[in-house]
Amino acid sequence: MIKLNRKMAAAAATVLAVATFVIACSKGGGGGTPEPTNPTGFDKTAMLTNYADALIIPAYTNLQTQATALETSVNTFLATPNATTQAALKTVFKDTYLRFEDVSVDQFGPAETALFNNFVNTFPTDSAVIEGNILRGTYDLSANASISQQGLPALDYLLFNPHAVTDFTGTTATNRKKYVQDIVSAMKTRVSTVLNGWKNTYRATFIANTRSDSGSPIAFLINQFAFEMDQLKGPRIGWPFGKQSGGTQYPNNTEGFNTGISVALATENLTALKNMYNGGGSGKGMSDYVVSLSKQTLNSDVMAQFDKALSALRAVPDPYTTSMTTKKPEIEAAYREIQILLTLIKTDVASATGVRITYQDTDGD
Amino acid sequence: MFKQLQRPVSIAPLVTFRILFGLMMLAGTIRFWANGWITQQYVAPKFYFTYMGFEWVHPFGAMGMHVIFGLIALCTALIILGLFYRLATMLFFVAFTYVELIDVTNYLNHYYFISLVSFLLIWLPANRYLSLDVRIWPKLKRTQVPLWTIGIIRLQVGIVYFFAGIAKLNPDWLLQAIPMKIWLPAKSHLPIVGALMYKTWVAYLFSWFGAVYDLFIAFFLINRKTRPIAYYIFVLGFHISTAIFFPGIGMFPYVMMVCSFAFFSSTYHQKLLNYFTGNTGIGRRLIYHYPMQLEMVLPLIFGLYFLVQIAVPMRYLAYPGHLFWYEEGYRFSWRVMLMEKSGNTFFTVKEPSTGKSYEVDNREFLTPLQDKMMSTQPDMILRYAHHLADVYAQRGIKEPAVYAQVYVALNGERSRPFVDTTVNMAAQPLNWRHYSWVLPYSKP
Repeated sequence: MIKLNRKMAAAAATVLAVATFVIACSKGGGGGTPEPTNPTGFDKTAMLTNYADALIIPAYTNLQTQATALETSVNTFLATPNATTQAALKTVFKDTYLRFEDVSVDQFGPAETALFNNFVNTFPTDSAVIEGNILRGTYDLSANASISQQGLPALDYLLFNPHAVTDFTGTTATNRKKYVQDIVSAMKTRVSTVLNGWKNTYRATFIANTRSDSGSPIAFLINQFAFEMDQLKGPRIGWPFGKQSGGTQYPNNTEGFNTGISVALATENLTALKNMYNGGGSGKGMSDYVVSLSKQTLNSDVMAQFDKALSALRAVPDPYTTSMTTKKPEIEAAYREIQILLTLIKTDVASATGVRITYQDTDGD
Repeated sequence: MFKQLQRPVSIAPLVTFRILFGLMMLAGTIRFWANGWITQQYVAPKFYFTYMGFEWVHPFGAMGMHVIFGLIALCTALIILGLFYRLATMLFFVAFTYVELIDVTNYLNHYYFISLVSFLLIWLPANRYLSLDVRIWPKLKRTQVPLWTIGIIRLQVGIVYFFAGIAKLNPDWLLQAIPMKIWLPAKSHLPIVGALMYKTWVAYLFSWFGAVYDLFIAFFLINRKTRPIAYYIFVLGFHISTAIFFPGIGMFPYVMMVCSFAFFSSTYHQKLLNYFTGNTGIGRRLIYHYPMQLEMVLPLIFGLYFLVQIAVPMRYLAYPGHLFWYEEGYRFSWRVMLMEKSGNTFFTVKEPSTGKSYEVDNREFLTPLQDKMMSTQPDMILRYAHHLADVYAQRGIKEPAVYAQVYVALNGERSRPFVDTTVNMAAQPLNWRHYSWVLPYSKP
């Protein structure tokens, strides 16, 4: 027993010595002498602060302002539904939808808790169930099952379908107006919930966590970039075009179908994504992190590919449902560029930053 | 030599090992359950990537899988207590291995290791001292066992370390310090050492230390003089650091710390057990003998077993091409945290008679984890392609042909096309032959 103890004591002493040595060394390198610019280091806290304060919170604030403007415009239309008020409303509605595209990539933290994107932008909307809700006058907009009965796609249908104006003067007018007001106010509440969530608690959590493992802000950002690219390639552009279905097209499944603004929305979505990737050009974005990891070429390729994909998208005119028959080569080209960008982000950027593309947390080796 | 291996020594190391292994596996099972991984990995998926030759292995549904994990937990408790030991180890081995065989996605080196160790435990008399079996049937009590019964655990651990070390002897690891150079900057949040994570020399230090450690640690553990320092400084230091730096590897560091403990001498373990039980000495000398017939065949069984253990990690030599790219002979070879590989796949199903094509949304068929694992491993890509052919045939597509566009980034290099996009994957056979449809690897 004595022999055992002596060995243990020797072992413990050595561990202690090594630990002291390590701590002493790192002190000398990190804090002893002022070292303002680490030649290869990168300030992740500054990057995350930039994302929270300069990009994410302002984007939700803009959406909140716009949602209030939408409410006013909706009420004006509902008071006197005619082609003129509808046209005025359409401009405001489009702006609101565009401001949503700016936050679409931020589905983590408070937005994920609130299932924000699901409630605000599940498309195609379920017009049959919506009409049923209006007839009955009873519905529960807080239920998870109701995501396809509300949000922007539901408004797109209710306010801008071909018979929208007459609907608001018909027999169901009272219930219909109430339904519209209910989903506008539900949406407004959701925006406020997410924005307050960011301001009150999540901002601090977000900035403080500079890890890269699953569930960390950095992993969330990279995963969401990839996810939004997947959404762009699939539901926004590829699937309605018939990519999944042997060429059979589904125009009704496009985003912003009745307002005919699908390409504008997709373009804004991708623009916002590019802006997120390069941190708004502040020098404190994911792009700068990638550069700091000695991946200069990769980063410039990604930025160039964003521009390529954007200009390919812009070559497709709205309404997308018309372009789906008249501009097939342009759509195919945009689809290809989006796919290249998706691969760059999902494979090269993820690999360079050591982030796993999966929300699932498991062991690995 | 053979005689030396039969020399009776104190049973204590086997008993310590039984108890520690049982405790660790109980904790691991509870953790797995508590994390919701039973549902996530064995209930939620709609499709499972089975192993070649084990296509008959299927999960048993939510209820069934939880029952199996309950059974595994029960077995670990029985192993700790040494109650119905032989039955418990057999059941544990079968249940644990069955679960691991359900889906290639979940392959981990240390799960394979646990299967192997539990197989060995079936044959070892680890319940003959300090166990409920002995309490109930006192005649079973033994205080000494042949040296080899402890030796095979040490040999198994030594093989793991040594092959893990050999695997690190590659240019990327040693000359480029990759993947460490990629992974360490993601650890800059760590206190004290965080700022060092961007330094190139740290990546080299980690790589070289890891390689040297793996190659030689078993030899220093065998040597009586170097053993205490090898274990208490290096084994504990190394694995505790890996647990801190790479929490994603889960139970692995703990498995190795527990198993390496078996290198300590019988006297050492006896003292340890006495310390905890308050016993003095070893008790009456009762030597364990295997039944005569078994004693004849055991050398053959374990001889074969260890031949396989050496041959399997070497099988990659039979394949042409870059091992990390093709991954032919990669699994079951103690290649732990050896490369950074990510990929992205686009599958298209085509109907030859109509020329129509259908792009596949992987999320419809795979969990995010399955999708990620499949995207870089050729055998999984092929198995998935076959599954797609089946599904689309059921959907009414005649003679579906499956084409894959796959991009893979290896060890921080840029992504490159991985699979020949002109090959109908549905027509490629699933076997152990070299994959002709994987595009050759070339240094950029």
